[in-house]
Amino acid sequence: MATGVDRRRAEFKRYKEDVESRGKPFFPYAMWHDTVMSLVVVLLAIGLACIWYFDSGEDPEDVGILGPRYTAEADPGTVSFIPRPDWFFFFLFYLLRIFKWPESVVLGTVGIPTLCLILLLALPFLDVRPERRILRRPVALVAGVLVIISMGVLTYKGATAEEGGAAGGDVVEQWMTAGDLPEEARPGAELVAESGCLNCHTYRGAGSSNFGAPDLTQIGAQGQGVDFFHRYVANPRDFGNTVMPVYESLGEENLDAIATFLDASKNP
Amino acid sequence: MATTTTPPRRKPPSRASVAINYPLDWLEERSGLVGGVKYFLFRKVPGDTNWMQTLGSATLTAFLIQAVTGVVLAMYYKPSPNEAYASIVHITNDVTLGWLVRGMHKWGASLFIILMFLHMGRVFLFGAYKYPRELNWIVGALLIPIGLFEGFTGYLLPWDQTAYWATVVGININGTAPFLGPFIAQFLQGGAEIGPDTLSRFYSLHMLLLPGAIIGLILLHLYLVVRLGVSSPPWSKEAAGMERPEDVQSGNGRPGLTRPTRRGGDA
Repeated sequence: MATGVDRRRAEFKRYKEDVESRGKPFFPYAMWHDTVMSLVVVLLAIGLACIWYFDSGEDPEDVGILGPRYTAEADPGTVSFIPRPDWFFFFLFYLLRIFKWPESVVLGTVGIPTLCLILLLALPFLDVRPERRILRRPVALVAGVLVIISMGVLTYKGATAEEGGAAGGDVVEQWMTAGDLPEEARPGAELVAESGCLNCHTYRGAGSSNFGAPDLTQIGAQGQGVDFFHRYVANPRDFGNTVMPVYESLGEENLDAIATFLDASKNP
Repeated sequence: MATTTTPPRRKPPSRASVAINYPLDWLEERSGLVGGVKYFLFRKVPGDTNWMQTLGSATLTAFLIQAVTGVVLAMYYKPSPNEAYASIVHITNDVTLGWLVRGMHKWGASLFIILMFLHMGRVFLFGAYKYPRELNWIVGALLIPIGLFEGFTGYLLPWDQTAYWATVVGININGTAPFLGPFIAQFLQGGAEIGPDTLSRFYSLHMLLLPGAIIGLILLHLYLVVRLGVSSPPWSKEAAGMERPEDVQSGNGRPGLTRPTRRGGDA
């Protein structure tokens, strides 16, 4: 009685015999194809480099179809810059829009990617049937198509994700009236609208939700107080939040203004 | 294995062939490398290999582009926050063909990642990760996160706004991982905030540790490819390893069983 192990050993033995008796030498047959393909890769790299370089200029603002040569020099003091990863991380970037801080953000940052990696590594042990033809591997076919579609959609959504950016002053006016905010909340509202908060947070539909950052419209409803928000924005690490950057550099006055605004944002 | 059987010589070799063969023989006698290369080049592959099966070597080519352009970039790049940005601007705008080297490195990275995924897709489509090639799938699958991490560490080096803020968020996201997360984030950052220590750390990882790991895994990957052979496209009528009608009819069958057809085998 042949077991599965005997069976696949016999098939591999047969494979070796077939290749030996009827195969072609790697050089020149297969190597010829490899060489052509490698040349295509090199030419693609050169072509992309040329388009990128000749369509852009020395000035970081002079952006070509393949992007700028570089953006402005790094400035840790800015708070309005929109953080965006390289394109091949867009799927992760968009995954983080789906999960929210703090309940489920770990799923998006670590849970799902880790699970996917484990499944990827374990694939040969999950799929042990000898069948190699894709149409006779229905589970593999469906799983493969789903992976391609989801990676494609996540990458596309990440690439076209709306930028929150800075909102204009009229937004502040609308927040003040719609939320019935006290006048002392206005400076903070202006800071939130004009600096980078809305790159990751939303407020009354303005801004874009990134990296699992919560909506701020009702953030003050739990009554944690001005001091809490001051300390939180200054250093989210103290509260176990390691995703949000540290904003101590904003200074006490600005932090107070933002904290006042956030605390007032009850919006029942 | 390289069994070099020298055919009986009919006439004395010409001077030219002696001149060419002498150093090769010298090398072969002392290292066996000539035989090794001959084995690599003249090993048999199935006759029905397909264009899709060039994606692996294309990925290797993309990696070699990164290695060569990376070495050149390292000659001009200065990994400190005060000089990094200026050196990148200098490479791009002033150094002769610096734009080409940096451009190929920048876009070669994307090609490398795309080709890795395409190559993986091909292996998946062919079911080529199955016995006895499981280990080679794992080696390849390890190359994917390492390759992505190479992309992540390289992204910071130009030290522009895009680089800086993507890294701030990237490190913070690392920090959310349970257990090891905060330690990894602290290790990557190398200090209270992203600064000189972060940059030199990323530089070291990007050009020493990660490429070293990639080279080692690629060599292992290639060793396993040569040892186990390249698989035929599974739909091929000529697929190597497949049970053939003549074997069944003549009954002299090679030892083994018919290729699983209807039920896909019951292993």
